[in-house]
Amino acid sequence: MSIQTFGDWLYATPISTTFRETTWIIPTVQSLHILAIAVVVGSALVSELRLAGVLATDESPARVVRRYLPWIWSALVVLLASGMLLIVAEPARTLGNTVFWAKMALVLLAFLATLLLRRPLLRDEARPAAKTVAWLLLVVWIAVIFCGRFIAYT
Amino acid sequence: MTLQTTLQSIYDLPLSNAIRENANAFPVLESLHVLAITLVFGTILIVDLRLVGYASHRRSANRLITELLPFTWGAFVVAIITGSLLFASNAVAYAANTEFRLKLLAILAAGINMAIFHATTQRTIAQWDETAAPPFAARAAGVLSLVLWTLVIFLGRWIGFTLDVLF
Repeated sequence: MSIQTFGDWLYATPISTTFRETTWIIPTVQSLHILAIAVVVGSALVSELRLAGVLATDESPARVVRRYLPWIWSALVVLLASGMLLIVAEPARTLGNTVFWAKMALVLLAFLATLLLRRPLLRDEARPAAKTVAWLLLVVWIAVIFCGRFIAYT
Repeated sequence: MTLQTTLQSIYDLPLSNAIRENANAFPVLESLHVLAITLVFGTILIVDLRLVGYASHRRSANRLITELLPFTWGAFVVAIITGSLLFASNAVAYAANTEFRLKLLAILAAGINMAIFHATTQRTIAQWDETAAPPFAARAAGVLSLVLWTLVIFLGRWIGFTLDVLF
């Protein structure tokens, strides 16, 4: 089954039709999606600026990361759930859209970088974190936001 | 000059016209607007939760506020600039939109709430800053701020679905 036929099938399902026809569902889910992005952005900003040596340098990196990493994980769960509802409601807008897939690739990259390079900081206080990675991660999250908005225009 | 002619002359500005004519201008401004709002909400969330009594990376609430507020303000300025440009591109329709008007009111209310906190509760912050639970006034300011900024985000998203004229 190709993505196109899957999208067509999804579009025709009763749940997809209900989501589209109930006027408040899509704006509400999109608003929750933006709130969750704000949680990721705020948490990533403070953590990554600490690791880049800009903010709260008198606190240990592990302490700062320990505070914000759980928020990033929770917000990502909300983003995944709300994002999937939006795909169900409007499959063609997302699944057939190059910008959407670029966004997914960037989210996966940010997720893996956080998992593999940030989580180990919790256990090892002395582990050095590359400043470049911290700046790059912030740039990736910003790119995710741009892609998200551009999905509506492509 | 009535409000309606003022709005029309904002719409007729060369800058407004340029935003309407250039296919990428509106989505780029919108993306910057969303980025700025997530920075405003993301940083204010950390401060508000601390005011409610939730621990942060700083033990001192006052220190947390002075550390994060410049980011909130910087992002807020970007949100105002990008928001004004989006408004200018379609001034008459935005001004007539109920959600847009309510959003401005919610931002105003959030600003007043913050001003009251800075002028009153924050002056006595030394009494509880690192040692005690925040007083009721601080917790109330934190909750109210979270409610109002959440409302701002919801109303903002709703504008996109209720705006009359889309060029």
